[in-house]
Amino acid sequence: MSDPPPDRQQARVLLTSVTLPCGAEVDLLLEQVADGRAANLDTHQSTCVHCQAAIAEFTAIWEPVTELASTPVPGPPGLTAAVMSHIRVLVKDVWYTLQTTDLGAIRVAARIVATLARDAARTVPGVRVALGRSSHGRLATLTERATFGHRHPHAAVGVLGRTAVVDLALAVSYGDPVHEVARDVQRHVIASLRDQLGLKTITVNVTVDDILSDEQ
Amino acid sequence: MESRAEVGDAYLVARAREGYLDAYELLVQRHSAMAYRVALRLCGDHHDAQDLAQEALIAAWEQLDRFRAEASFRTWLYQIVTRRALNKLTRGRVTESLDILEDPADPGAEAAAQAERNFAVDAITDALTALPFPQRAAVVLHHFEGLSYAEVAEVTHSSVPAVRSHLFRARRTLGTKLQEWR
Repeated sequence: MSDPPPDRQQARVLLTSVTLPCGAEVDLLLEQVADGRAANLDTHQSTCVHCQAAIAEFTAIWEPVTELASTPVPGPPGLTAAVMSHIRVLVKDVWYTLQTTDLGAIRVAARIVATLARDAARTVPGVRVALGRSSHGRLATLTERATFGHRHPHAAVGVLGRTAVVDLALAVSYGDPVHEVARDVQRHVIASLRDQLGLKTITVNVTVDDILSDEQ
Repeated sequence: MESRAEVGDAYLVARAREGYLDAYELLVQRHSAMAYRVALRLCGDHHDAQDLAQEALIAAWEQLDRFRAEASFRTWLYQIVTRRALNKLTRGRVTESLDILEDPADPGAEAAAQAERNFAVDAITDALTALPFPQRAAVVLHHFEGLSYAEVAEVTHSSVPAVRSHLFRARRTLGTKLQEWR
């Protein structure tokens, strides 16, 4: 007496059956194997040859799926940049700082001011996350109202003038004195913006709204 | 420096809603690989997946005001990607029902989409993309992404029994194909 020809015929029968000869449901066995619980045999399975054979068979069949599922899929490079540049176009970025020189006007988009401020804040010890904003929110709205009369005549451009108002949201390290970190951020950001943009009057509003422990 | 960013998604969502684009950028950095991966498994094509992931991440930002604060951003993004993949594969046909697992996608459109696909993709990907959309979505979200049945049901606006039944059928179909190739 010879063993039945391996696998194919048997596997096909298995996969089209509702139950095994012992009464075990094929769907549940497939679920058990596909969910990675092939080794967790219940009381019946630990003594049942039908169940054990089916589980072994399904494990072999399902293996390529498990393998593919555990293969990392690297995200395409540039996806984040593409998404963010699209969103920045959608945002009505009408805020500029304005300086007039004898050669003409210099405008710097508020978004740039916010980015430079954020990058400066991120270098301050104790700062874990810094998020910058200058074109949205309550303060920007207030500034918009306040400076309405100075709008550029040819475009819907809000002018912050030589004053930049930047909001920074910070998450800081647990244990560092929060007010000192915040103060350092204000000083450092003001100095950076003065150096990089030549802005004279800079208001940096700091909101510390998260504290992170080192183990996180 | 972003690797030090360990604030929660909920924090970043809240800041993004207040107008901090930086916060949304961190969310995109965290989740863009997932959006692409799911899109790739669902539609089987790199370029479609890239477009789909990008559209989904932009749509998520545009709809931030509709995002429920108690929900998880990750689950929400899974929802957007899955729904958009379904719409793409059914050529923009608007699905009226919220339950996207309710009805298999239009077979004609599925066949057409499949005919355009690159034949170099490997056998399992073929088998996967040959599944009706509801089954494919359930397999991708549960077996590839590791979501529980309840989470898959939440993402697809379906029920746990429906998800389970799609998975039962999908495993038999995949199993039959895979054993033929052994």
